[in-house]
Amino acid sequence: MQTNLPSTATVLSSLLRADFTTQWRNRRGVIMVILVPCIILISWKGLIEKFGGAFALSNCITVGLNAIGLMGYSNAIARDRDKGVFQRLRVAPVPTWSIMMSRLTVQLAMILVMSTAVFAAGVYFDKIVLTPAGYALGMIMAVIGGAVYLGLAQAIVGLIKNAETVTSTTRLVYFIFIMIGMFGEIGVLGKDIGTITKWSPYGTVKHILSSGMQPGNWDLQSTYALLVTLSYTLVFSFLGIKWFKWNSR
Amino acid sequence: MQTATAESVLQVSGLNVFYGSFQAVRDVSFDVRAGEIFGLLGPNGAGKTSTLSAIEGLIKPQSGSIRIAGIEVIENPLLARANTGVQLQSTSFQPELTVSEIIRLFAGIYGVEMPNEKLDGILANIKLEDAAGKRFGQLSGGQQQRVSLVIALIHNPRLVLLDEPTTGLDPQSRRQLWERMESMRDHHHSILLTTHSMEEAEAVCDRIAIIDHGMVMTVDTPQALIESNRANPEVIAASRKGKITLEDVFIGLTGKAIRS
Repeated sequence: MQTNLPSTATVLSSLLRADFTTQWRNRRGVIMVILVPCIILISWKGLIEKFGGAFALSNCITVGLNAIGLMGYSNAIARDRDKGVFQRLRVAPVPTWSIMMSRLTVQLAMILVMSTAVFAAGVYFDKIVLTPAGYALGMIMAVIGGAVYLGLAQAIVGLIKNAETVTSTTRLVYFIFIMIGMFGEIGVLGKDIGTITKWSPYGTVKHILSSGMQPGNWDLQSTYALLVTLSYTLVFSFLGIKWFKWNSR
Repeated sequence: MQTATAESVLQVSGLNVFYGSFQAVRDVSFDVRAGEIFGLLGPNGAGKTSTLSAIEGLIKPQSGSIRIAGIEVIENPLLARANTGVQLQSTSFQPELTVSEIIRLFAGIYGVEMPNEKLDGILANIKLEDAAGKRFGQLSGGQQQRVSLVIALIHNPRLVLLDEPTTGLDPQSRRQLWERMESMRDHHHSILLTTHSMEEAEAVCDRIAIIDHGMVMTVDTPQALIESNRANPEVIAASRKGKITLEDVFIGLTGKAIRS
């Protein structure tokens, strides 16, 4: 007598339950991912009059998106691969896409929670209020922007097998993005660095977030930034999927 | 001891696995019968893991056929996996999940209903009722093996693949695992076991295949292997105590050289 194949919905809901539980148990890390951009936002209160609320919000959400992709997702994938968690799932009747779909759904939830928290902190502490369309488009841009860093994280995990090397590499990339991203764009690192920053994954994500929060200000530059962001996502995801090995041994 | 019937639950025929230009498995063929414990023995790098990985569907062989309960693994990998229970050598689960959460996760994955009473029964059966809320990483090696074995059997598969399941276990846990394997056989599960322990192979396996350099060198019952190689000069040379053991046969057939 044969055992029938369980439905994909059953498999996916079981994986989602486990992945959300895992995320919940790692809530200290989750709180840090949410707190850091909120604290930056609150500390920038004095800059908001000069640069605008959308500038501050978009920078802070970009910092949070970086953390979700580069600190959260990549490290969890590298650790579970190293421990053989994926190999155990792969010998079960689980389509491989559903393993990653479940993981990415958790990250999507993280993006929405973090963005909501930053928007709420903006309203409560800095009195930054957007239009409903600004919030909606800002959320959509956060998801699109988050995909860049998830793709980049996937590429790093694909390229590097050792979990500890993945952790140190993603920390370094995170630090570079944040420092050059925040200071490069305002011109303190020179004009060339400013241009590179503008079209870097940090700069384009920040740009589409900022433009999304002010739909009336969306221009051709914003469309270019969106296209570059989507291109980054495609390239990073392609490399991440191509290079990725389910087993670190 | 053997209660196997002639029906094959696993049929491997003409299996060839390459890694680039290196051929890890060469024309391997064997079958595992219903209600049989079948041992796959070989030195390091002999091709055991590659053979097992191909059966598990983790790697795609270049040629050959693998059928599990009549299902062609290469054509229907998910259905074949739904009919196979697996305990991997280096299995782990998300360390944040508790024992009961892990069991529920895999019950869901295999489409098995898991009401609380059934879960309690499973935990009691493996003497982990007090550890239901413990995280997997907090369990001892023996307890982790018991959880892994429960998950391998959660969907009552016809074929169970055990990859060096007693490595790192103390003698008590090892004996307990042997008894569980025998109990599984009594419940008509077929087991494909890889091990480096000749004692284990002799104690629990109904038949054994010795594999080396990617090829199956011989397949028979442990006793028949000893009998048929009693006069083999290489086996006699490998014998240490004057009495031919399965280990002597293994060393005689695969050589004394240490493999990487």
